[in-house]
Amino acid sequence: MFYSTRSKLLAGFLGVTLLVGAVSLFIGVHLIDQNVFDEALNRVAQDLSAANEMYLSRVKQLKTSLSITTLGFAFISSVSERKTSDLVIRLDRMARLAELDFSGIVAADGTTLCRMGPNAFPGPASRGVNPLAKVVLEQRVGVSGTMVLGRDFLISENPELAERARIPLAHRPDSGAVEEESSGMVIAAAVPIFDGDALIGALYGGILLNRSESIVDGVRDIVFQGETYQGRSIGSSTVFLHDLRIATNVYGPEGRRALGTRVSREVKEHVLDQGKLWVDRAYVVSNWYISAYRPIEDIFGRRVGMLYVGVLEEKFTHIRGQALKMFILITLAGMLLAAAAGVVIARRITSPIQRLIQASKQVREGSLNPELGPPANSEIGVLQKAFGEMVEAMGRRRAASELRIIHSEKQASVGRLAAGVAHEINNPLTGVLTYTHMLLRRKDINTEIRSDLQIIAEATERVRKIVKGLLDFSRQTKLDPEPTDVNRLVGAAISLVENQALVKGVAINFHPGENLPQVTLDRSQIQSVIINITINSLDATEPGGHIRIFTAASLSGNGAAQEGIEITFADTGCGIPSENLNKLFDPFFTTKGVGQGTGLGLSVSLGIVQRHGGHIRVQSEVGKGSRFFIWLPIERRVEHESVGG
Amino acid sequence: MRVLVVDDEPIVLQSCRRVLEAEGWEMISASSVAEALSILESITPELLLVDVKMPVHDGMYLMRKVREKRPGIPIIVMSGYATSETIKEAEGLGAAIFLPKPFTPDELAGALGSVAKSTSRD
Repeated sequence: MFYSTRSKLLAGFLGVTLLVGAVSLFIGVHLIDQNVFDEALNRVAQDLSAANEMYLSRVKQLKTSLSITTLGFAFISSVSERKTSDLVIRLDRMARLAELDFSGIVAADGTTLCRMGPNAFPGPASRGVNPLAKVVLEQRVGVSGTMVLGRDFLISENPELAERARIPLAHRPDSGAVEEESSGMVIAAAVPIFDGDALIGALYGGILLNRSESIVDGVRDIVFQGETYQGRSIGSSTVFLHDLRIATNVYGPEGRRALGTRVSREVKEHVLDQGKLWVDRAYVVSNWYISAYRPIEDIFGRRVGMLYVGVLEEKFTHIRGQALKMFILITLAGMLLAAAAGVVIARRITSPIQRLIQASKQVREGSLNPELGPPANSEIGVLQKAFGEMVEAMGRRRAASELRIIHSEKQASVGRLAAGVAHEINNPLTGVLTYTHMLLRRKDINTEIRSDLQIIAEATERVRKIVKGLLDFSRQTKLDPEPTDVNRLVGAAISLVENQALVKGVAINFHPGENLPQVTLDRSQIQSVIINITINSLDATEPGGHIRIFTAASLSGNGAAQEGIEITFADTGCGIPSENLNKLFDPFFTTKGVGQGTGLGLSVSLGIVQRHGGHIRVQSEVGKGSRFFIWLPIERRVEHESVGG
Repeated sequence: MRVLVVDDEPIVLQSCRRVLEAEGWEMISASSVAEALSILESITPELLLVDVKMPVHDGMYLMRKVREKRPGIPIIVMSGYATSETIKEAEGLGAAIFLPKPFTPDELAGALGSVAKSTSRD
């Protein structure tokens, strides 16, 4: 399969972008998730602290109110004088100011002097039943805090209070023994009343938490500042008596406060039994809350209930969703940007390469002035420059080799023309010479005719010499032999034609023989022979084929074993039919199209090789290829110069 | 003495006849290899003078045929343009003398004379 560099680059960019995006999404989502959740837990834990502070300050406020009351001179004298009617008025006033649900005064002997509400003057029967006053009278100090008061106490204080304290259980507990909670959980305080140093009684008062809305709604309004999510308050707060909701602004599915419902067993064990803080997400009544619970201890240090605040998880889910949406959008936008940058960069990298590919096609089709496009200022630019220089060098070398070939063919064709003309002239010249000389042999001619005939004979002799000179010229231009490294000569000749081979797509492989002796030869003429035969092979070989050229030391095959070297040209071309093999070196024999070959190349090559005392052999198989063998002697023997004529 | 001269050029044949008959030779001419071969069926010349380059069959072909049938007949090869290769081939086929064209009557007569002399000496 072929994948372009551009798509590979793009795939790389996109792959990295996707990977980075996916990893950052994964980590980001996880972090946001964790952070939002942690943040929610932190916030709820803080909210619980704030709620607890409010709860404690309410207790303190309660105690302060009572303490201030006991400091009044009139109040003290009323207590010491047991002016109960006056005290009841004072109690009512104080209770209204301090928003007390119950309040009363106990004398030093433990009997309740008076109390607010319908049961204002209980009489001696009430002695010792008030647990708050009891502590104060025994220890002579004020106490304050949370207490759980039994139904009997509540009834004796105020039947209405006892009634308010009753909370029917929403779900029957497993035991089934209790169907409602009737004890009251209160925050209360009691302070001693001194007349001088004498302890004359105790003032007590408290707030019933059962069904109280002031504390839980106060927490909701102050801590959560009335924040809502989809119409619901996001924050909620609850006071538990043991594990039972007795004051809450958590609403049940029917829209009522979820009084009388219980906390989960898990929370109960953790907070009530073990006394620890609970901060986690929890299913509260009908919604998931990020919730926090802490135990409430009574005056005596017993864990009697719990304080709870919670924030709707949906709120945080929403925040998390928004953050995630934003994060995903930013990541996707980043990925898109990176992909776009990838496309641009890939194009910038690959477009000069595309142009180089186009340019190399142009070169293959023969152009030596390919369009390279604007120079790139990167490694591609270096490549472009190198490519341009290569093409230029190819052009120069092609021009040089073409010039050389043209030159050698021109030289040969002039010689061949001369040879052809000379050959044709020699026959009639024989007639002229014969008859002139025959006439000159006659005795019956006068001196004048003889002298005329003599001139004809001499002139004809001159023609004969001129023709002989022409023939000599055509057959053997003067050799300029010098000792030569044949491998270097062949290598140089091949370098002149390898561009043509490159363009055609034919490989030329040169296998130089080792330790070859130097050969005395005419470098220029033998080089033109090598070029000529290589080009013939190239013309016969289809693109994809190859030409192998070997050099080797070899003895002459012509009887007398003479030392020499042999240059072999083996191609994978079309081959030569056997009927053409013996005409191959004939002048003007060619199988190339009109104007493509002169038919002189091989005959000239043969002439040059022969004048070096060498020879050329050919082996060929149609369809498989041809082998040309040039054999050259190391030293040229003196050739018969008088050949021909 | 009879000599068979083979050449496709009439002027060459004509010139040879003019010289050889003057020198006392009986000359038979053939303007092609085929004609020469048919003449050789009935007549046995003392000498053969053969041109190299001729259409259809060349002088080398004729020499080979003659060597098969009449190995004893000396042959003189003439040519207007011969390479060393041609000369070697002719000598290989037993040519007595290689005579380049053009030639003067003296050169032709001399060549024939020396061949005839060496033959009669053998």
